[in-house]
Amino acid sequence: MKLSLFGVGNAGTRLVDQLLQAEAETGRNFTDGNVLAFNTAAEAFGETEALPEERQILIGDTHSAVNQYVEPSQDGPDTDAASATQRDSAGVDGDPELGATVADDELPEIRRALDLVDDTEVDAAMVVAGFGGGTGCGVSSVLLEELKSVYEIPVYVLGALPSTRESDERALTAARAVRTFVPLADAVLPVDNDTWARSTTPLDEQYEEINEAIATRVLSVFAAGESDPGVVSEMRIDPADVMRTLDVGGLASIGYSTIEVDNSDEGLVARLMQLLGLADETPDNQTDAATVKRLVRSALESKLTIPCDIESTDRVLLILSGPPKDISRKGFETGRYLLEEKTGTVEVLAGDEPMPNASEITATVLFSNVTDVPRIDELQERAVTYKQEQDAETEAIDTTTAVEGATALDSDTSESEADDDDEEQPFEFHGDGDERSENGDASGGDTGTETEATEDESESVDPDSAEDEADTTAADTDSDDDTTTADDDTTTADDDETEKEAAATPDERE
Amino acid sequence: MKLATIGVGNAGSKVIDRMVEFEQATGRDLCRHTLVINTARTDLAKPEHVPEDRRLLIGETHKKAKGHGVGGDAAIGAEVAQTEIDDIRRIFDDVEIHEVDAILVSAGLGGGTGSGAAPVVIEELQKMYDEPVYGLGLLPGKYEGGRPALNAARSLQSFVNKVDNFVAFDNDAWRSRGQTIEEGYEDMNRELATRIVTLLAAGEVDDSEIGENAMDSSDIMRTLEVGGVSSIGYASTGVNTPDDGLLSRFSDEEVSELESTDAAKIKGLVRRAVNSRLTVPCDVSSAERALIVFAGPPSEISRKGVESARDWLEQETETVDVLAGDDPRPNSDTLAAVVLLSNVTDTPRIKEIQDQAVDAQNTIQQQEAVREEEIESLITDDDNDLDPIV
Repeated sequence: MKLSLFGVGNAGTRLVDQLLQAEAETGRNFTDGNVLAFNTAAEAFGETEALPEERQILIGDTHSAVNQYVEPSQDGPDTDAASATQRDSAGVDGDPELGATVADDELPEIRRALDLVDDTEVDAAMVVAGFGGGTGCGVSSVLLEELKSVYEIPVYVLGALPSTRESDERALTAARAVRTFVPLADAVLPVDNDTWARSTTPLDEQYEEINEAIATRVLSVFAAGESDPGVVSEMRIDPADVMRTLDVGGLASIGYSTIEVDNSDEGLVARLMQLLGLADETPDNQTDAATVKRLVRSALESKLTIPCDIESTDRVLLILSGPPKDISRKGFETGRYLLEEKTGTVEVLAGDEPMPNASEITATVLFSNVTDVPRIDELQERAVTYKQEQDAETEAIDTTTAVEGATALDSDTSESEADDDDEEQPFEFHGDGDERSENGDASGGDTGTETEATEDESESVDPDSAEDEADTTAADTDSDDDTTTADDDTTTADDDETEKEAAATPDERE
Repeated sequence: MKLATIGVGNAGSKVIDRMVEFEQATGRDLCRHTLVINTARTDLAKPEHVPEDRRLLIGETHKKAKGHGVGGDAAIGAEVAQTEIDDIRRIFDDVEIHEVDAILVSAGLGGGTGSGAAPVVIEELQKMYDEPVYGLGLLPGKYEGGRPALNAARSLQSFVNKVDNFVAFDNDAWRSRGQTIEEGYEDMNRELATRIVTLLAAGEVDDSEIGENAMDSSDIMRTLEVGGVSSIGYASTGVNTPDDGLLSRFSDEEVSELESTDAAKIKGLVRRAVNSRLTVPCDVSSAERALIVFAGPPSEISRKGVESARDWLEQETETVDVLAGDDPRPNSDTLAAVVLLSNVTDTPRIKEIQDQAVDAQNTIQQQEAVREEEIESLITDDDNDLDPIV
């Protein structure tokens, strides 16, 4: 199917770039150039390989909230701390409320950019974002609302959930992103980085690898059949099949598996013999059906983009890509039936993507509306705990003096806090407090994070409650060096100096 | 018989395509008009024997179809056909209906377009014309899953109620190993085309001679007029013509039959037609009417054989309404017997599909009932502490 892609934030921009690279490599022209990237900081824009520069839209660079938000950090209470100078001041500092505000204010700019994309030429749109980032979550929310109000086509969301190694603040942002995206979007495809990362390697060194794996899976579903194979298969997958599968909404997950096919001369001779009626049905054909079924099974049991109980799925789509002459139809049917048995749903659509010259057969399984997703529950628990701690801090601060930086945001965010009866601006403080802990991360990924984070916290909040806080924060931030790629809001210590300037005057940086 | 044929959806169109292929190869002239209707542009490009201007894409402007099919959703298939009924009517404008005896609508019942759009098309045709409208439906196999079974069970009701007769074809009965995705259902479609064309082309004055016992179109229509579901049996044997006797001996397993007497051969052929794979397996005795057509060189069709075959079928079907006739094909190198069992009421596969459909419908309803709730519960925390951004 044809898809327009909208990357948001650093993580989203990078993943879109990866998807475009995969598009070029596989010859599946599924975007036809209908791509855009939105960011509040130029960081990821400098690194793209396939995403054209004119499709990269920087927003909020002149936004007063962004500037005001950055400024106090320089003469705020933590000026002296080493972390302050190394703070990632680019973009919206991980604050989804600010991200949303910026996007709201810049809607005219966003709409102008959207004109570059022809929604009548595509079957669906996809917003690609890091769920834990201020831009990824905040700007995407507004963009999603906008797309849903102007487009007739389905709008999907694809993006990474923050790893357990990342900060609590990002967990909170991501949990809220899920809460926001799912009702708005036609389907949401979260990617669980924890599943995909090897625990021994720093996360930020793995993002490219992970993004590649994700891009492969996303293309296998959404770009199926876009490579113009020159052959027509009877059971070819249609865009309507993908859309109907995702039509039920909720979260979706992708499984993927591949096997080599024997394209040797021997196979050819055997087929020729068969064609001439000189050979009986060869045992090859029988193993072939079993092979296809095995392949489907291994896709079903493969590492999913987000782990879930597949029995909780609502609808399923199976796509077999490969040389149609090598795929047993019986195997195809039994593979499909296997999915019905394993998932317990009868809504199993299946089709193939004919690739006559491929040397392998790929089975891709899309599980739509999976409702038993442990990672989401974990994320919510962590988010709620963190939020409660932050609320407690806020209360403490409320009774003393408010942090100056926070006040700038009151009007933007207070309404969203309707749940918290007596707290008017708890969220700004999450942002604030969290941003401080992120300071710690950014500066001290490899060094003494613990002390800094502790200092950080104790400076920003009431010392009493900060004592309790420090442990958790520090523990989280220890390993929290991954934000470079996944996030919209932080950078490594090296870039910090530049980034800070860039945020203040992004144009000059270009 | 002269037919206007309409294929709806991918499978239905393929069958029409194969029918035209078969009649051209055998010098028959059955399909006076061909038309294919589909919701997917890619599928519409597949037929090789249907002219470009006889292919109608529907649902191009439908929000969910957009020329890409209906994703197996029969409701959308029906909706699209209903919306564009004027376009469908219009394409019949150049069909000279007085030139045809009947209309045949072919569709796969498991998919969304065939099962949903075909009954709409049939309903419209019944309104427009007095000629009988027959249905040719492909029943999905068990392994095609619950959704196709549900589509088929529901569509079957509409089909049987709206058409003058419904010829069923069971994919499962014809499923075999060794077929690849590329071949798809080609073998099955050819088998079906052979049967339906051999049956319905009987009594047609094309290059055939009029024989004394020639089957007439009106006989076939009379057999079909009881309605319900029908099944077709078929068997053929090579006839010894000097030219290709050697070749046919190699390719045809029925060599031994040639040595038997003509009468016994004819009867054996009909037995085989009924006992071999019917288009849909059924209890032969549950048929209301039956008809046998012998297609082949007149010299091969022994009168005695025809009589004894007819008597045998009368016993098998437990009905006296059995017609038998010839379709003389002097130049044919095969002798074929095709048996039509009209209004068979005992068809185990249809029962199975209905059972599978009921289970599927229950599952779907259960899913629908909890869908919103489950999504809501997934995205919110226990105490609903987390609020959305916008």
